[in-house]
Amino acid sequence: MPIDRKRINGPEETVPYNLYTKLNTKSLLQEFDELFCDGKRADNRAPLEHRKIFLKTGVVSQAKGSAYIELGKTKVIVSVFDPREIPNRTDYSLKGEIYCEFNCTKRRLHQQDAEEKQYSAIMKQALESTVCRHEFPNFQVDIYALVLHNDGSPLSAAITAAGVALSHAGVPMYDLIVSATLGIQHNVKFLDPSNTEQRLCDVSISSDGKEDSHGIIVISMLHTHEQISQFYQVGNISLEDITESVKVLETACKDIVPLVQKHLVKHILKTIKNNEDYVILVSS
Amino acid sequence: MAGELLICVPGQRLCLCDKVYTSGQGTYERQGYIYSQLAGYVDIVEKDGVKIVEVHTSGEQTVVPAQGDIVTAQVNIITQQYCKCYIKCIGDAVLRRPYRAVLRREDIRATEKDKVEVYKSFRPGDIILARVLPITEAHTYQLSTAENELGVVIAHSEYGHPMVPVSWTQMQCSKTYVKEFRKVAKVVPENINQQRLIKRAELVTE
Amino acid sequence: MTLCEAEKTFVLHGVEENFRIDGREREDYRPMELETDIVSHAFGSARLRLANTDVLVAVKIEVDTPFPERPFEGKLEFFVDCSANATPDFEGRGGEDVAIEISNTLSAAYHSPKVFDLRKLCILKGRKCWKIFVDILLLECGGNLFDAVSLAVKAALWNTQVPLIRQIDIDGNNVELKVSELSDCQRLDVKTAPVMVTVCKIGEHCIVDPNVAEEQCSVGSIVVSVSENKFSTVLQTGTGSLHSSTLLDCLKLGYKVAQRLDDALWSTLSKIQPTEDVGFLK
Repeated sequence: MPIDRKRINGPEETVPYNLYTKLNTKSLLQEFDELFCDGKRADNRAPLEHRKIFLKTGVVSQAKGSAYIELGKTKVIVSVFDPREIPNRTDYSLKGEIYCEFNCTKRRLHQQDAEEKQYSAIMKQALESTVCRHEFPNFQVDIYALVLHNDGSPLSAAITAAGVALSHAGVPMYDLIVSATLGIQHNVKFLDPSNTEQRLCDVSISSDGKEDSHGIIVISMLHTHEQISQFYQVGNISLEDITESVKVLETACKDIVPLVQKHLVKHILKTIKNNEDYVILVSS
Repeated sequence: MAGELLICVPGQRLCLCDKVYTSGQGTYERQGYIYSQLAGYVDIVEKDGVKIVEVHTSGEQTVVPAQGDIVTAQVNIITQQYCKCYIKCIGDAVLRRPYRAVLRREDIRATEKDKVEVYKSFRPGDIILARVLPITEAHTYQLSTAENELGVVIAHSEYGHPMVPVSWTQMQCSKTYVKEFRKVAKVVPENINQQRLIKRAELVTE
Repeated sequence: MTLCEAEKTFVLHGVEENFRIDGREREDYRPMELETDIVSHAFGSARLRLANTDVLVAVKIEVDTPFPERPFEGKLEFFVDCSANATPDFEGRGGEDVAIEISNTLSAAYHSPKVFDLRKLCILKGRKCWKIFVDILLLECGGNLFDAVSLAVKAALWNTQVPLIRQIDIDGNNVELKVSELSDCQRLDVKTAPVMVTVCKIGEHCIVDPNVAEEQCSVGSIVVSVSENKFSTVLQTGTGSLHSSTLLDCLKLGYKVAQRLDDALWSTLSKIQPTEDVGFLK
């Protein structure tokens, strides 16, 4: 990969010291038991309890629309820019394009790596079915997501925030979009997993060849039309578990919607009030 | 703004779509209902007994020029065949990012098209009102000023002073009284919308 | 290729009647051809032709250092190359998005240790491991790339010969390996390797193995990757959205078809004689 020599790139690779400490000798099963005991998770949540969400719009002054979201410690900023001409394109496209860029927190080079590209593609897939793309043929809307702190479910946070940022930017949309993540490990479903939970769900911990499911599921829902605009799963999960998880995630998404709606309404009222103040100022 | 405002968010079902209510700007129709596309407030416009449901954003709306729109543009480069401009406003919405557009010689006026000369119609820096033509070539918008109400609205003379129109082909400098050729727009004063457009245009040039 | 509305309606009606434009039923695959061991320089290879889709997969093996956070595991990497021969769209950097999508989906599908155990590729903890490069070359696109690629990858991995380690000499930080001859090798265990099925929703029905025309008619499709009796990856492609009940129907159909497909592949592979000398590059 070519490197930008003008930047301070730092070392090419870093390895956290704690991989080599004696503390790192716990088996995954022990780690799991520590994380989940007596039906409570490490942060005192029930397995199917979502973390508290904080939303704010208008955080990036240069962008047309922007949103900041917090899911516990996970913090993501999403900004949306005006439609612009699609670069390096010669043919006419009837529908507008969406360009997503997802940037993660793990200290990396400024170029996107495979994981970030994958997340960008998923984000694009999720948002394509909600934006009225026929309204801006031949143009693309740029959406940038920057993860400030990754404590699990960064993709869901980014998609939910992108929905809010798009509507803040006044981009016509068919529907509100919200997203939720779920991790499965050892017959326990973790809604909105934290980083450690997500890491544990990624691998299989039962070594005795039991038929346990493990994995991560991310879905994005369009609220009014009850459509799933994006579904992504990785791991090793049985059909029954997926069916159950989809139900759980659907209700989780429904629970997030009122929050997003409330926030948008509050934002509209605020801007209308500002506009009125401005009108009074001009007329006086 | 009168009385209570109806606030809506994208995807919110507004009303049944029937003979009385039709879907307008900022809304879409699906399976017999009208839904909102934007986060903003609902506005119902009555026209010929039909109520058009519209949604307006409280902030700036994201729009791109479409065929038939009246736009405010600034002339950038003139050649023998065409002039290049930047679209600055669509209707009364000011754009954050200007869009490139081309105004060809044939589209400058409606009559005697072959006698038109670009340099006698526009000069770089002029603010013009124009209509967007159907998009044929990818990537650039084509404009037309072949209407009485379209053409130059604000121009400055060679010496940099504002000019006032004296006929539909000429403008006069307010300081030096030198006359220059332009394709002047006949701004309809009773059309409040147009006046607002000009005000916007003035704001842009400032 | 672009279809007009009338052609799309024709395809749609065919799907509704359970009689598609090429005479298949909704759950039928097109005929497939599979060849293995056709690239002599590779450790394992396979070529799969699914009607007009043609995929060539070659597997190469190198010795590498494991990731510090996973010292007991080897490495597996996928690389997709879209030849401009396949479709003119792939010219220049045109195929890049498709290539990234396919290779990312493959890595997600092979991610779980239950699907493909990377620990078997470890040679010396934290020091040496095998790294498997799976190079996929798309020779022709006739729709349904994901399914064809996953089958070809599984066949190529099945065909792969991993050399045996005869001797390890450790001298301080230097590790020297003595590797067996190519004639004396070990096969990879790919029984649980995933098989992908693309389920396309056209009108009210779901179909598998869409051809190019059918892909155009569908607004959304789901790629399911099934390993044994579990899902290893599910990915939605296309621009449309689906109701959750439709999604689950798609998953069920994909699961059923994937089981059949896996069985068919496995029985074909077991029929291949190790010394059979066939192939178009020999």
